[in-house]
Amino acid sequence: MIRKLLGLLFFLAAVFILLPLFIEVTGRKDLYYVMTSVALLSIASAGVWLTFYIGRINIGQGAYALMGGYVSAILVMSYSWSFWLTLPIAGLFCAGVSILIGMPILRLRGVYFAMVTLVLTEVARLLALALPITNGAKGITSIPLPGSISIFGVTLVPDFVQVENPRIAFYYVAVVLMVVCYAGMYRLVNSRMGHLCMSLQQNEELASSIGVNIAWLRVVAYSISSFCGGVSGAVFVAATQSIYPSSFTVTDSVNFMLNCFLGGLGYVFGPMLGTLVLYLGWNLLFSTGQFQLLIYSAVMIILMLVLPNGLLSLGSWRRKG
Amino acid sequence: MNGVLISRRLLLASACAAALSLTTLAAHAADAKLKIGFVGVTSGPAAAWGTSNVRSMQTLAAWYNELGGVKIGDKTYELEIVTFDDQKDPKRAVEGMEKMAQEGIHYVVGPNVDDGAAAVRPVAEKNGIIYIPYAFPKELYSPPASNAILGMIANYQSGPAIYKYLMENKGVKKVAFVAANESDPLSQRDSGVAAAKALGLEVVAEKDTYQNDTRDFTPVLTPIVGLKPDLLVLSGVAPANAPLLIRAARELGYEGLISTETAQDAKVLEEGAGELANGFISVGGASTPEIASDRMKEFVERYTKMFGEYNDESNTKVYALDYILETMKANPASMDNVDEFKKTVDTFEAPNPYLKDPNAKLKYVGSTSFGQKRQLAVPMVVNEYKDGAFQTLFVGTVD
Amino acid sequence: MEQVIANGLYLGAQYALVALGLTLIFGLMNVLNFAHGQMYVLGGFITYVVYGQLGLPFVVAVLASGVTLAVVGGLMERYLFRTVIKRSHREESTMLLAAATAFFFDAVILLVFGEKQRGVPKIVKGVFNDFGVILPYDRIVVGLVAAVLILGFIAFMKFTKPGRAMRALAQDRTAAQLMGVEVDRYTMIGFALGAMLAGVTGGLLVSITGVNSGIGGPISIKAFMMIMIGGAGVVSGAIAGGFILGMMESVGLTVLREYGDVTYLVIFAALMIFLSIRPNGLMGKPWG
Repeated sequence: MIRKLLGLLFFLAAVFILLPLFIEVTGRKDLYYVMTSVALLSIASAGVWLTFYIGRINIGQGAYALMGGYVSAILVMSYSWSFWLTLPIAGLFCAGVSILIGMPILRLRGVYFAMVTLVLTEVARLLALALPITNGAKGITSIPLPGSISIFGVTLVPDFVQVENPRIAFYYVAVVLMVVCYAGMYRLVNSRMGHLCMSLQQNEELASSIGVNIAWLRVVAYSISSFCGGVSGAVFVAATQSIYPSSFTVTDSVNFMLNCFLGGLGYVFGPMLGTLVLYLGWNLLFSTGQFQLLIYSAVMIILMLVLPNGLLSLGSWRRKG
Repeated sequence: MNGVLISRRLLLASACAAALSLTTLAAHAADAKLKIGFVGVTSGPAAAWGTSNVRSMQTLAAWYNELGGVKIGDKTYELEIVTFDDQKDPKRAVEGMEKMAQEGIHYVVGPNVDDGAAAVRPVAEKNGIIYIPYAFPKELYSPPASNAILGMIANYQSGPAIYKYLMENKGVKKVAFVAANESDPLSQRDSGVAAAKALGLEVVAEKDTYQNDTRDFTPVLTPIVGLKPDLLVLSGVAPANAPLLIRAARELGYEGLISTETAQDAKVLEEGAGELANGFISVGGASTPEIASDRMKEFVERYTKMFGEYNDESNTKVYALDYILETMKANPASMDNVDEFKKTVDTFEAPNPYLKDPNAKLKYVGSTSFGQKRQLAVPMVVNEYKDGAFQTLFVGTVD
Repeated sequence: MEQVIANGLYLGAQYALVALGLTLIFGLMNVLNFAHGQMYVLGGFITYVVYGQLGLPFVVAVLASGVTLAVVGGLMERYLFRTVIKRSHREESTMLLAAATAFFFDAVILLVFGEKQRGVPKIVKGVFNDFGVILPYDRIVVGLVAAVLILGFIAFMKFTKPGRAMRALAQDRTAAQLMGVEVDRYTMIGFALGAMLAGVTGGLLVSITGVNSGIGGPISIKAFMMIMIGGAGVVSGAIAGGFILGMMESVGLTVLREYGDVTYLVIFAALMIFLSIRPNGLMGKPWG
């Protein structure tokens, strides 16, 4: 228990203090955006991981990220809402849509579910191109930075326009959301519902026969997953100040899934580590030029051969040995 | 579980630190180095777009360095091209631009597509970077935007000129448009349709789209060919798809003209469609022997020697780096201050080394389209493909 | 309308051939091979070099594609997938391995063959134009070869010893093993066969649609859709799926063209609805 608590403290110190310190010391300011991306993508990946937890391969998270991004962008641009208000709305909207879509498709399993969700990503892209409200092919650009939040005259979050470097502000927003998201995930997995989800992953029929309402459980898990996707997409749009139908595509959906695999499907924090390694790995190989993809993929293959159960399985393997 | 995660993170962080300190050391060793950036797509299905940019820049840089570097003000600089593959993902493009800012780069070529170019705008403006996208949205180049400079001729500039020429010289009356269902081609189709209608042409097909991964275009083109248009416009067609579309249309018995407003590669057309591609109209740079200078020919030679094969898309893309360097020469203060660059843009003029015509000039244009000079004046050469090579149909200008 | 149906049939034959290899590998080892499209591309480039550049006969080139890919596929199964499947807790983990292999192929193909679209001279010149149908002869030839290959493959699976062994494996791995089927050997043969089909298809189609280094991913995804329509892991399902998708595209593009950008939206939405009603495709095994 103490070990866990120490680990948590250390982790919080690392993301809130050590990493910014490291960036300031080395002057690598571009890393703020990179780490913001990692944090946001890992939130979406956490959602995908939850669907893995109920035994479904989800390659459709890109659709919800895109949807969340558009909901936030449209509310900010056309209805002048505050970004902070659109953030939960984007998540809830995605959760709502995912309930409607999830009810029929969650009956599918294995590759069928995987493929339907993959198609869903493409459907979302084509919808964004075709619907009038999304401004079609031209996308939505020049989205203003988030404003301030104040309660009773106390400014909780400063106006991003006045912040000296909005990238740092976005970094903290993303990291706070990531910590909240993973804390929630951890709590969920260790709750009664988490154990029930685990039973779904192992044997749905058996779970059903002992009185678990599996249909309800699946839809709830899927909507939580989509909520994560929507929130992550919305913050991304605010950070890049623009959204296009191509902002989240099939490639992103596949990457979210790969993040989970790489980190380890059996570990709540797997997707976070997976995202970090996959995203940052590509970034670090930047200087290798035309061999970037070659080295990147070769390392991935080797990792898979050595640690087929994900990077985090290294820990349990060591403990066993 | 947490403990493991953290130690992994630390390990990574220290690895980063080591790598970083190495790169900074290297950067300090050479003192008169000039870095120019590239952020665009060099992998995946659209790899050809960015690759032709990168290779043009690398060929030129190697050439200049071989000649002892580039003299700007009273210092001579060795050129270094820093490239970033954004995988055609706007999120990555932003990362690339941040990286360029980190490297202290003020001039970046790319991105290659609309969404990437729009996404990097805030980063470029905040960090004082001038970037040269190959994307057409007008708001990137019109005030209040001021850091983007269009690197080629936009389709809303070349399209009307081509349609007008074909109306007057080939008796074109009915036009059909077909585009991939992605942002860039659809935007180009919309402005193409508007231009054709403004000229009084009858547009018989304006809503036909295809998935960019289509390999067989016969089903897409069957209904369009049945409408018997005089001109089939392939809006924003990817060089890889152009020969397939041409071949499918011709084999279905289409006899009218086919055109596009983007640059194409003759070798790709020859291999993919053979003689069926004869008469295909596209827009390129100083490509054809009638107008190319000896320097252009030497560039093609060096490119071929360095990379094995030339890409005709580079006829347009050769210009960006020279524009950046020539403008710096005209005003050395612009090297690390883009406000100086913006001032120089309005008056800048230099000879165009890639054209035979001694009066051809490098200058910034775009006042008509954008209300300010935010476009490179590359020659608008309208080509016709014939037996493995391009022939000049006419040369236009943009102001 | 005749033209639309002819287009659909031709497209279907082409798609079915692409889907066959993928479904075989899936049926045998429950691996969704993300690298299938890349194998197709590699086959295409090998034919491009042998037939287009070296000038050897087209048949030789396609054979070369098939043999090379069979070797590559066999090696992949032996040294990559077998290891990972044995050591991982959840068999879905192979998806990451498959994706990594796909990236690896992408990188190698881009480095070796460049970024340009490639094509080869037509294998047969001329166009068939009668009964309201226009079909170039080379498409007819490729369509027929595709049909022969598909029939040959079905016969192979039905009547030969390895074919029967592989079907047994696909149905029940443990039972097959107990009955004395050499699991490892036939899994490897099956993977090699699947890869070979991808290579042969790529080689054949390079004569019609050319090839470029970036299309591997999109082709894999399209092939996934086909096997999902028909039912994953079932040979007849892949063939049906290929033809259905081909026909849907051909008819959809003609019927829906007036509504413009929504053609593919409708096709994809129809797919999702279809699968919600038939969760295992047309004839898939229920556990998918």
